[in-house]
Amino acid sequence: MAASGASTNHREYFWRKLHSFTGIFPIGAFLAEHFWSNSYVLVSVEKYNEVSRGLQTIPWRVPLEALLIWLPILFHGGYGVYLWWKGKSNVLDYPWMANWMYTLQRWTGLVAFVFIGWHVYTERFLTQGRSTYADVERALSDPLYFWLYIVGVVATSFHLGNGIWNFLCKWGIATSARAQRGAAWFGALVGATFTMVGLAIVLGVRFDWKPFEFYTLPRQ
Amino acid sequence: MAETKTVLVHIKRQLAPDQKPYWEEFELSWRPFMNVIILLREIAERPVTREGKVTTPVAFDANCLEEVCGACAMRINGKARQACSALVDQLEQPIRLEPLSKFPVVRDLFVDRSRMFENLKRMKAWVPIDGTYPLGEGPRMAPEVQQRAYPLSRCITCGNCLEVCPQVNERSDFVGAAIINQVRLFNLHPTGAMHKRERLEAVMGPGGIHDCANAQNCVKACPKGIPLVESISEVNRDAIRQAIFGWLFG
Repeated sequence: MAASGASTNHREYFWRKLHSFTGIFPIGAFLAEHFWSNSYVLVSVEKYNEVSRGLQTIPWRVPLEALLIWLPILFHGGYGVYLWWKGKSNVLDYPWMANWMYTLQRWTGLVAFVFIGWHVYTERFLTQGRSTYADVERALSDPLYFWLYIVGVVATSFHLGNGIWNFLCKWGIATSARAQRGAAWFGALVGATFTMVGLAIVLGVRFDWKPFEFYTLPRQ
Repeated sequence: MAETKTVLVHIKRQLAPDQKPYWEEFELSWRPFMNVIILLREIAERPVTREGKVTTPVAFDANCLEEVCGACAMRINGKARQACSALVDQLEQPIRLEPLSKFPVVRDLFVDRSRMFENLKRMKAWVPIDGTYPLGEGPRMAPEVQQRAYPLSRCITCGNCLEVCPQVNERSDFVGAAIINQVRLFNLHPTGAMHKRERLEAVMGPGGIHDCANAQNCVKACPKGIPLVESISEVNRDAIRQAIFGWLFG
């Protein structure tokens, strides 16, 4: 009976863990980088264009994009749709906090996947990888696109924050009830931070709001 | 004479596994300290519906009547719980009684929970000591470990944690929190720990621990207050450790 474990099929375990892991790295890490770079819209148009041009001209750009952004998102989102289908939410029968989080995690994941697909298509492919401030500004001047961005940013940020909590619980990093409460606060903090920064970027472009523009002014 | 208080009950009935369920209404006279089991027994004594139609007694599973056997789990007003500890005075009327939805119905409120037993076997959640000669005494268990293990050992296999789990459904064969908790219990046991690896291998197999998606309903629904979420997380920690380092360091 000692050898009986060897025949167990661990394929699904592997894909689940990979799904969980890719959500944090590289996808979560990339989202942090993405929000960071895009925050330059809050400084000035020139600064933003300079930074995005810098990113657009890095060596090995396409293989890096494919390996660290497109493939992980396609896998995480595609496998995520399967997981979304496999679960059956019962939050109306059992309206507990974590059960709400479970349900929201599935729906925000779906919204984020669709949003990101559309966002990458319009901003990365339609612009042939040379998107500028003017392109983003034009997109956001359309009220429909503006609201799509608001919904997309909130859903994605929630999904990441809650996903970090899930990750900490499901990898046995936060095991006790107390540690999991702490992890929940940490996830909430990450989610709230991403939401605020993401919204600031969208609103900054939409309303030409440049709170950090004074950085670029000459010293008095 | 003072007007007698009554209790209104709606019961989802099903005469056989392959038959269609239907609802019946009963009206019983109220008694102090009534619980759902007493209610069902009174219906069995006089199986007449509210409209006066003579029917059959409602089949249900029950044994200990003090929330230690797990047999009388059912959905009461939509929530999975034990019928013996569900007091009529604390329930909103009409009281709705339904069988657990995640197990095959045998008849009325009586479900077949043998799947849980099969899954305990699948996850090797027991201590195998059978053999052809006596093995002698096992290793001693530290009091600190005893204290950690005892709450886990209180599981009554009632199935409430499976019933409330959104990951347990017809599209998934997730074994559920109770079984993973038993894996943790037997991995904690000094004799059980001799088969820890095998249990972790099984728990990473089909329907295993990775199917948990952290909705954490199990711990809320558990009538025995078992720290199920902690158990799942602890087994997750051991499993991932074995998955990553198992093939590196043996």
